[in-house]
Amino acid sequence: MPSFLKEFFKRNGVGMGSVMLGLVLFWTIGLIILPQLSMLDFSFRPNLPPPEIGGPKDVYTLENYKYLINGPEGGSQDYNAVDLRVFFRTLVAAVCVTVFNLILCYPIAYYLAQTKGNHIRIFALMLIIPYWINEILRAFALRIIFGETGVLNNLLVGMGLFDTPFDFIRNDIALYAGLGYAYILLMIFPIYNVIESLDRNQIEAARDMGASWPMIHRRVVIPYAKPGISSGCTMVFMLSAGALAAPQILGGPSSLWFTQLIYQQFNDNSDWPQGAAYAVVLLVTCILLVLAIMRLFKVNMGDIGK
Amino acid sequence: MKSFSFLRLSVWFYLAIFFAYLLGPLVIMSVTAFNSPEFPRASPWECLTFEWFSALFQDERILNGIWNSILVGAGTVVLSVAMGLAGALMLTQIWPKLRATYYTIIIAPILIPGVVLGISTLVFWDRINRMLGLGADSFLSNGLFLTIIGQSTFIASYCMLVLVARLQRYDIALTEAALDLGATHAQAFRKVLLPFMKPAIASAAVLAFLASFENYNTTTFTFGEYPTLTIELAQKVRYGITPAISALAFIIVVLTVFAALANEANIRRKELVAAARKDATVEELESGRLRLPNFFSSNWAAVALVVVACLTIATVGTATVYSPQQCIADIREQKRLETEARIQELRQRRAEEAARRAAEEAEKGDAATGGTSTAPATGGNNSGFGNVFDPNALGGGSSDAEETDDQSSAPSSGGGSSAFGGAFDPNALSGGGSDGN
Repeated sequence: MPSFLKEFFKRNGVGMGSVMLGLVLFWTIGLIILPQLSMLDFSFRPNLPPPEIGGPKDVYTLENYKYLINGPEGGSQDYNAVDLRVFFRTLVAAVCVTVFNLILCYPIAYYLAQTKGNHIRIFALMLIIPYWINEILRAFALRIIFGETGVLNNLLVGMGLFDTPFDFIRNDIALYAGLGYAYILLMIFPIYNVIESLDRNQIEAARDMGASWPMIHRRVVIPYAKPGISSGCTMVFMLSAGALAAPQILGGPSSLWFTQLIYQQFNDNSDWPQGAAYAVVLLVTCILLVLAIMRLFKVNMGDIGK
Repeated sequence: MKSFSFLRLSVWFYLAIFFAYLLGPLVIMSVTAFNSPEFPRASPWECLTFEWFSALFQDERILNGIWNSILVGAGTVVLSVAMGLAGALMLTQIWPKLRATYYTIIIAPILIPGVVLGISTLVFWDRINRMLGLGADSFLSNGLFLTIIGQSTFIASYCMLVLVARLQRYDIALTEAALDLGATHAQAFRKVLLPFMKPAIASAAVLAFLASFENYNTTTFTFGEYPTLTIELAQKVRYGITPAISALAFIIVVLTVFAALANEANIRRKELVAAARKDATVEELESGRLRLPNFFSSNWAAVALVVVACLTIATVGTATVYSPQQCIADIREQKRLETEARIQELRQRRAEEAARRAAEEAEKGDAATGGTSTAPATGGNNSGFGNVFDPNALGGGSSDAEETDDQSSAPSSGGGSSAFGGAFDPNALSGGGSDGN
């Protein structure tokens, strides 16, 4: 037995130690690492009926990844234009949602963190309550508002801004509003946590030196809040790129989200390896994008999740 | 100070917009639960009704979904709190060099898209199932099992974060003291560490249950034969929405507000008690005559809690005696009248049109017969017809023009041009101009 294991059991006792170790190993290896590897492995295999799995036809192939780029074998086009367009549109839209959320939430987080008083707790309560409501119901609420005979259209037409109801769903405005809505809290809390620990004297000092408000934010608050901002942005980006409920409920009929393609591969086409390949592509691209942006803004991985 | 108050005003304006965006949808959705139209809408308001609530409670699939959600939630809470606690304890003891890697691994599930987690769980356990040679209906491919496992993968990370925050304030010397005094490791854990961790475990359990209850992305791949409430709702919402869903949402909103206020009132009460104790003198404390603050004094959350409770009771009370039949009948009657009026209008318009067409037809007939016999008669007829359209001159003009085309009778055409063309005649203006000059 290696010395660190011996040490571990001496510290925790054999019984407690093995329960603890067992749970941790089950979680990290059985639930996190092996399933991901298994999905990766699966994505390189052809789609076979169950009896043939493990048979001679079950060999590694790049077919599923080629499908995403080149489309079906012998198709009319050189590239799988539909799926690739959905893929890039999803990434761009997720970035837009993240930026929108950051702009919306930064002032709120700053205000909540730097103001004292009883009303702040009421605000915090009002922030949290929507997040106890089901994700589907939140999307449903937005659909009531943005629908063709919804409240917003009635209001706009009633005020005479539009002659005919504006189709928010077909124009994807409902979808972006819904995605932004869903992840506001995940953006506010990390930023709030960091700014709360910012010493107010620093801001006072900057102001005494004659800095304007934009200058104070640019030079004092934002550099200090960078870990919070980056962890908020990472979470919002990953979750909105991987969202499924909001695009299904709020998305227009002609616009798909990449996760919906994965869902279709699994449930409608029953092509699991293809779906797994798409999932791997989504996961890897998102991680690479996040890492690249973190390097660009010089943030460490360890700051995330604080 | 003018700019300062302007800043203040804009801050409040911003806050108002922000919270309108955040809470507005929930309020509007709640309102639609009480409106009678089949399609959930807040405006136009028709009738106050509670029928969507009874529709909700009669929906077998929703009730079954709630039951499945509770089962899954219970399993997920147990599994993820246990794994989260073990993971948090391990984080405090692990070999420093491994620490960063280990932390990245256990935090990763929060960032992995839920869809990916669901797929990987499904694929992995399907493979294990096949490796063990079990059938398609074995325990490992059971929807309940897969959903609990899939959700726990990332919910355990949330629990771990909550528990680590509390564990950092734990003094390891306490456990060591217990061990020195002869406790076994299990006893030291149960009697020293666990009581200390209890508040954090409670909040981790609540968090885990809520996260499990509202999870969709992972569950949608793993649920199998056990659709949870979220899955049922998603299917309903995707294939046609009814106010019964608003009713469910309203119930959840009320429960949430209630729980949040109760929690807040409790915290505030504890703070007030602590403050009172701090201010109290030693004699007061010893004699036990310390007057603790009243539950409602300067505790807005408690007041709000009671108000919400009263409103709920009042609403339920109204719902049991209130019958919207009269109002719905009224609305139906009103709608019927409206429709009738519209039909009447349509009919009238049609009749008019038919009359006009008949007149045209008749005229054509006239023209066909009269054209051959007497030209002046046609002209007279034409002028008579034109008088009907006299108020809207343009319509009359166009019909006149058609008429003239049809008939191609010189006199009427000449009459038309004299009636209208006079104004548009370039000569008229120039003539007038020259007159003026």
